[in-house]
Amino acid sequence: MNELKSLEHSTLKVPYEVFNKRYRNAQRVLDVEARQVGSGAGELDTASRKQPVTTGEIDSLLGGMVEKLTTMKRKASEAITEEVQAAFVCKKRLEHLKEQAAALAEPSAPQVKPMSYTSQTSLNQWRKVRLDRMLVDYFLRTGYYESANKLADARGLRDLTNVDIYAAAAEVEAELKSKRTARCLQWCADNKSKLRKLNSNMEFKIRIQEFIELVREDKRLEAVRYAKKHFSTYEEDQLKDIQHCMGMLAFPKDTEVEPYRVLLCVDRWSALVVQFRVEHARLLHPARLPALPVALQLGLAALHTPQCARAASQEPACPACQPPLAALAARLPHAHVSHSRLLCRISRDPLNEHNHPMVLPNGQVYGEKALKEMMKEHGSIICPKTKEVFCMKRVEKVYVM
Amino acid sequence: MDSCIGVEQDLDKALTKFNSLNDNTNRVLQDIIDQVEDLRKEIAKQPDNTPLTPAQAMVVSDLAASVKQTVFQMSTEHRELHATVSRVGKSIDRHFIADYASVAPKAESFCNDANRPIMEQAIAQHLYRQGLEDVGDTFVAEAKITGVERTCTFALLQRCAAALAEGDPSAALHWVERRAHELHNSPLPFTLHRMQALKLAREQGVGAAIEYARRQFPAHAARHERALQAAVCALAWCTPGAGPAPQIYQHLLDPKALGAEAAELFIKESCALLRLAPLSPLAGGVLAGARVLPALHDIRNKMAHPHVIAAWSDDELPFEVDLGEDGGGYHSVFACPILRQQASEQNPPMRLLCGHVISRDALNKLATGAKLKCPYCPMEQAPAEARQIYFS
Repeated sequence: MNELKSLEHSTLKVPYEVFNKRYRNAQRVLDVEARQVGSGAGELDTASRKQPVTTGEIDSLLGGMVEKLTTMKRKASEAITEEVQAAFVCKKRLEHLKEQAAALAEPSAPQVKPMSYTSQTSLNQWRKVRLDRMLVDYFLRTGYYESANKLADARGLRDLTNVDIYAAAAEVEAELKSKRTARCLQWCADNKSKLRKLNSNMEFKIRIQEFIELVREDKRLEAVRYAKKHFSTYEEDQLKDIQHCMGMLAFPKDTEVEPYRVLLCVDRWSALVVQFRVEHARLLHPARLPALPVALQLGLAALHTPQCARAASQEPACPACQPPLAALAARLPHAHVSHSRLLCRISRDPLNEHNHPMVLPNGQVYGEKALKEMMKEHGSIICPKTKEVFCMKRVEKVYVM
Repeated sequence: MDSCIGVEQDLDKALTKFNSLNDNTNRVLQDIIDQVEDLRKEIAKQPDNTPLTPAQAMVVSDLAASVKQTVFQMSTEHRELHATVSRVGKSIDRHFIADYASVAPKAESFCNDANRPIMEQAIAQHLYRQGLEDVGDTFVAEAKITGVERTCTFALLQRCAAALAEGDPSAALHWVERRAHELHNSPLPFTLHRMQALKLAREQGVGAAIEYARRQFPAHAARHERALQAAVCALAWCTPGAGPAPQIYQHLLDPKALGAEAAELFIKESCALLRLAPLSPLAGGVLAGARVLPALHDIRNKMAHPHVIAAWSDDELPFEVDLGEDGGGYHSVFACPILRQQASEQNPPMRLLCGHVISRDALNKLATGAKLKCPYCPMEQAPAEARQIYFS
């Protein structure tokens, strides 16, 4: 199991969904065009059997046929080129993943043989890109479209992130925010079968909103007509909502009576925006959460030690004990540690057989090297924590198994 | 790697099929168009109102049938690719884990209204640290974040490093010169001077580079003898038409690799000097998380047993993950070698007279009356003689 396998599913799956969608689209185009040409051919066939027929008629039919075939050729080639482009996006991301796959495949490599400096550099570089990709993904899925675009542009990550795929979603959201539903309904229609599979009630919610708007404008008759048209094909669990809607007709638009007050509330629009965002992400991503919070949560849990909570032992470099993330880490489990992992608090070097842990008479443990260094400089040991002064003779070794 | 290759095979197959389908469609359609055009020319030779001869009618009817067959064939061929397309999707699902969040039940809480602002603060902090003020500003406005400092020392370093990665060492050199006395043990100044010399060689010719090297290199000759020799030798391949350089110099002559390497060294050394963390809290957390995820997935696969699920709700991760040299280990952690668990305030590390360290709980368990034998050496002592020590 490696980091690519665990984290990069959606990196490939999202462009694949686009590829798949284009494929189905191309199939539809081809079917429609084939039917067109087919019916043309049928006409030609009947005309040729009908006696008598003049060459003029046949000529014009043949002309029509050439035209239809040319259109088909153009459309087919366009549609297939689009498919190939979508597949190439997948391919490009795969190439990017492969770049580091070799280095990531052996997580134990650094201990076995030190990696050459350059490959370590490129691995770090790749990780930076991964963080940027995660950020863009998080921005897109939380609705911070402008930030996502700017970050992707600043880092040249358009191909490796889904900013372009989300561009349409951003437009739909903007339309919804300005209380226009046309784009969202269009989107629902485009993805009808998939939305039904996911049991989505997006379209129904939008319809209700349109009904509410008609009531708000006091076009109640029109609202009834609208309800006749769109609510008559309701599903089992939608009946209650429809009843609420119809009940609303009897109340003034500034009513204080529940649930009609809530239905007429303007906040419903922002709820629709949020719902759209969720549904859109559900269509594309199999995972419900973006990768960033997941990785961050696990990372903080793995870095979280009991010392993080104590002010005296916090480390400036430790993500789990510095604000703002400390507040998040505090509620997480601690890392599981069954083998001691000791660091010298003066030099930050690991404590081991090359840098023995030494205990001062006050019980504080530091590294041998740092203490010797201190001895050279000051001629005595000053405990950095308690400021007590000791001589080197009173410092003893500690054996940690 | 395996997972990438697995998906790549299926994807490549799909790509080839689509490309050949595209060519094929174009060719076949063009053929049929030409046929129709030919027939039309043939028929147009006669005046408009002549009746069609039975032979001609036959030809027309045949053509109509063949057109029909060709176009339907076309759409069928495309439909047959469905299996290939969906195989790519299945291959992705098989080789990568879709539901990575299943092992992080608490991640959900990071996205709720109480915690999201904290996480987004960390994101904004990260963006500013990276020197991406523009993106940071946009994000702060969009996410309505408060209380993030816009300027930080690290952003300045980051800008120097970014310039280095682009191949321009001047900003970093300036920074280093002001702190030359603190950096005399660091390889950073020489690395930057070497980069500048090679840059001069590329831009202004070898003469300028040698001039620069004469001024700057002697101060570093003692510590970087070999690297210095290599750098000067590499200049020989900087003249136009010098031919391909030997293997050992190629690295020096590749400005991109050299820049990236120098940038990383610069961040490392300057952060050490200023006692800053080289990774932002966000980056550090995510890096560690990416290490943990595969291990968690692994163990999850192995333990499908229901009682094991309790491990996920405990207040510790279910097992230990090695975070590597650069990805973790910010604190000293003492784990009792007897009980194999982390020491805590209630159960602190105790040093026995012989110098061995065990936790207090272990000590109490091992003690028999007023006597305690060290579990690691023959020394015997009274339990009260053990002394609490502090690793942090």
